[in-house]
Amino acid sequence: MSKERNQRLRPLIALGLVLFTWILIPTFFKKVTEDFFYEFQAPSWIGGTLVRNVQKFWTGRMESKKSLIEEGRDLARLNATLQYQIQQQDSLAAQVDRYEELFNLPSLPTYQAEVGRIARRDTNGWWQEITIHKGRNFEIPKGAPVVYSGGVVGKVRKVNMTTSIIDLITSPNIRLAAVFEGDKRPVLYQGSISTPFTPPKGTVQNVPTDIQISKGHPRRLITSGLGGVFPEGLTIGWVQTLEASSDGLFQSGEVILSDELNTIREVAILRTLESDG
Amino acid sequence: MNIIEIFRNYNARLRLVTYLLLVMLMVLSGGLAYRQLFKYSEYSEKGERQSLRRIIVPGPRGNIYDRDGRLLVGNRPRYSADVFLNELRPEFRAEFKKLRDYYDTIPEDQVPKTGDINIEARRNVVQRYINQVGKILGRSLEINSKDIERHFGQQLLLRFPLINDMDPEEYALLLEQIPVQSPIQIFASNARYYPYGSLAAHTLGWAGNTQEMDTENLPGDKLMTFQERGYEGKSGIEKQFDEELQGESGLEIWVVDPSGFQFEPKVTNTPIQGKDLQITLDSELQDIAEMALGDQKGAAIALDTKRGDILVMASKPDYDLNDLSPYMSNAVAKDINDRGAWINLAFQGLYSPGSTFKIVTSLAGLRNGFIDGETMSHCSGSYTVGSRNFRCWNRLGHGDVTLHESIKHSCNVYFYQHGQDIGVNYISAEARRFHLDQPTGVELPFEATKMIVPSREWKRETRNQAWYPGDTANFSIGQGDLRVTPLQMACFTAAFARKETEFKPTIIYDPYRQAIPSKRDIKASDTDYNLILDGMEAAAIDGTAKLIKVPGVRIAAKTGTAQVQTPDGMRHLAWSICFAPIEDPEIAIAVMIDGQFGDSLGGGSTSVPIAQPILQRFFEKMGHVASR
Repeated sequence: MSKERNQRLRPLIALGLVLFTWILIPTFFKKVTEDFFYEFQAPSWIGGTLVRNVQKFWTGRMESKKSLIEEGRDLARLNATLQYQIQQQDSLAAQVDRYEELFNLPSLPTYQAEVGRIARRDTNGWWQEITIHKGRNFEIPKGAPVVYSGGVVGKVRKVNMTTSIIDLITSPNIRLAAVFEGDKRPVLYQGSISTPFTPPKGTVQNVPTDIQISKGHPRRLITSGLGGVFPEGLTIGWVQTLEASSDGLFQSGEVILSDELNTIREVAILRTLESDG
Repeated sequence: MNIIEIFRNYNARLRLVTYLLLVMLMVLSGGLAYRQLFKYSEYSEKGERQSLRRIIVPGPRGNIYDRDGRLLVGNRPRYSADVFLNELRPEFRAEFKKLRDYYDTIPEDQVPKTGDINIEARRNVVQRYINQVGKILGRSLEINSKDIERHFGQQLLLRFPLINDMDPEEYALLLEQIPVQSPIQIFASNARYYPYGSLAAHTLGWAGNTQEMDTENLPGDKLMTFQERGYEGKSGIEKQFDEELQGESGLEIWVVDPSGFQFEPKVTNTPIQGKDLQITLDSELQDIAEMALGDQKGAAIALDTKRGDILVMASKPDYDLNDLSPYMSNAVAKDINDRGAWINLAFQGLYSPGSTFKIVTSLAGLRNGFIDGETMSHCSGSYTVGSRNFRCWNRLGHGDVTLHESIKHSCNVYFYQHGQDIGVNYISAEARRFHLDQPTGVELPFEATKMIVPSREWKRETRNQAWYPGDTANFSIGQGDLRVTPLQMACFTAAFARKETEFKPTIIYDPYRQAIPSKRDIKASDTDYNLILDGMEAAAIDGTAKLIKVPGVRIAAKTGTAQVQTPDGMRHLAWSICFAPIEDPEIAIAVMIDGQFGDSLGGGSTSVPIAQPILQRFFEKMGHVASR
């Protein structure tokens, strides 16, 4: 009877022993184990995305020639527009350089974009993060800003051997110095975890009381460029209403972020280049 | 067998023990009941006092707007990076252990006391955080151990500031570069902000730090209380309307652990901003007046003669109010002191009004029948009273002059001569009738109260001297011992324009305020009144105040240049008063410039050019005159 009872207790005792041993293990070993486990998992995520890519490729192959030609034409147009924008950008950059030289101004920080594909998306009540394919192997810097064509994505939190974890701007761990488009005063943007089936959102705080938002005309919140991490002018989101605090000093409000944040497949990690000036 | 019978069969000693136990149980129960029922509130209060702490957070002050709704005084964000020392306790302990281990390795006589090691540990930890902030901001920041210890002793529950009053760029840098989970928190509180800097500095006043907050209606008054600093008005409107502008304090009540550190919040009431105030100043006219005053020492006042509103109240030298917010540095205080800029000359400076007072002398003479429109004098450039020669400002003389001409050209001889006829009693009575011996009662603090309208009695009482005819000569042209404020002269001008003897100015704007009903208590015949008015209009057209002209507006003006003899030499005071339009006065202005030794000032050349742009812009705004 007691033998049978002992046998039943054995797994619980084993679990207790494992937990006890885990507690006693030095932090260094725990960290190594955690990282090792992570690195071990990474190929499976990368494999998963490769499978999805192959799946998408074959889906494309199923399309009729006519629709492929049409899409190709659209892409060509888009390419032409982008080429034109690049030329404009180059001309503006040259103008900025001239002014900097003329007025003896320090050079603005310049960034180099490293495009990374999203391998894993963890957006739930606990985490608001994505994992990308690139890590130390591509010299991804920790803390670097991450953007996409629609604006800010987040900030690199952790860099592994072949992957990097990015805190999304919906994460409460992300705080930015933002400005309202057309205004220069910095306000505080912070992510806030959204409930399921609602658009991603954040909050804006310390907004001066003279900034007004009329009903039906949301205002764009952009990066200020003052914080030294994110370049100036990237879209964070849109603010529809502001509410004054009882002390009358500031206003605060909810920032509606782009739905695309949940569906983007590629992001750009911005690396600051050493200024040549 | 029931329980009682079983009990009876017990041994006697056992029964005794049972009785004793019962009695003890009853005593305990009684004691418990006594403490629970009767002593509950006392113990509960003691418990709260030991375990609860209150933090008072002052409410932001209300804004001040000008009559057109422009913000004159507001609150600006004041950014700081702070830490709650509570959150650093594990680090304090670790640092203490590290230091103690180090001191174990050195000779015992070099080891500091445990308390000192503790202080060093706290300092080291806080300095590490300050270094982190300093590195981001590119600044070298040092922490003082005494500040930390003072904070531990007196303000443990409040945030410990690592850096105060950062500019928006620094705030933005820290926002992005300090991790959200860091014990360093970026806060935005408030400080008084003056969008126009020194504009109307004296009238608006300033607000300084205070620990004295109104906590009367806040709960937990018996709890140990920590208080963040608030602001209280120290001068001007900030002081006068401090009660209205003062916000309602908020509070936080925290449950604390036995060491006094925060454990969890129990009550949180957010502070509420104070009431806004709208004042009568017109910031555009005020700016024009201050620009016109420039670097000269003096004051300019403009009044709405219909409603009593003070449109302009400028005083120079002044100071930038933003230099006093959030606190005044010793260097700023010294600079303001050295320049003598604290005083609002508009109603704190007492000066001889010079020839602008001739309007009072004229009224005294006309009302009491000593002079009329035909009364003549011959001005040869001076007039002898007793054995003393009194000069006219025009050394060549004005020739034969009537009252009209003497006002137009500000001839002194006319008033020396007829002032003797009128006499000190009548002139003094007339000045008192216009309340020149009393403060105006404007809703601003520290208005001068020691104005002087001299009389025989006054001289006897204060100097134990007789009144001489020479005193009357001086008095009749607004010099000698006569002392009034520029605001009084502005009120006198407005009262005269309204044919009244008293004008009560106000600084509080009421958009629904009706025009003040006319009392017409000047008690001068229309003929007599018009005699003076015509003289003043002539002065504005081609007399001493001719620079006042505003096309299309009939103006009545009078200039004055008083001489002040001081131990260091002679100083000039340049005055001008005016009102317009003559047919239905809407604005009255008084300007006074206090010259430096050696300056050659004149009412017409120095003071009138300051009044003119005010008048010009006023009528442009009213639509009477096309904008230039």
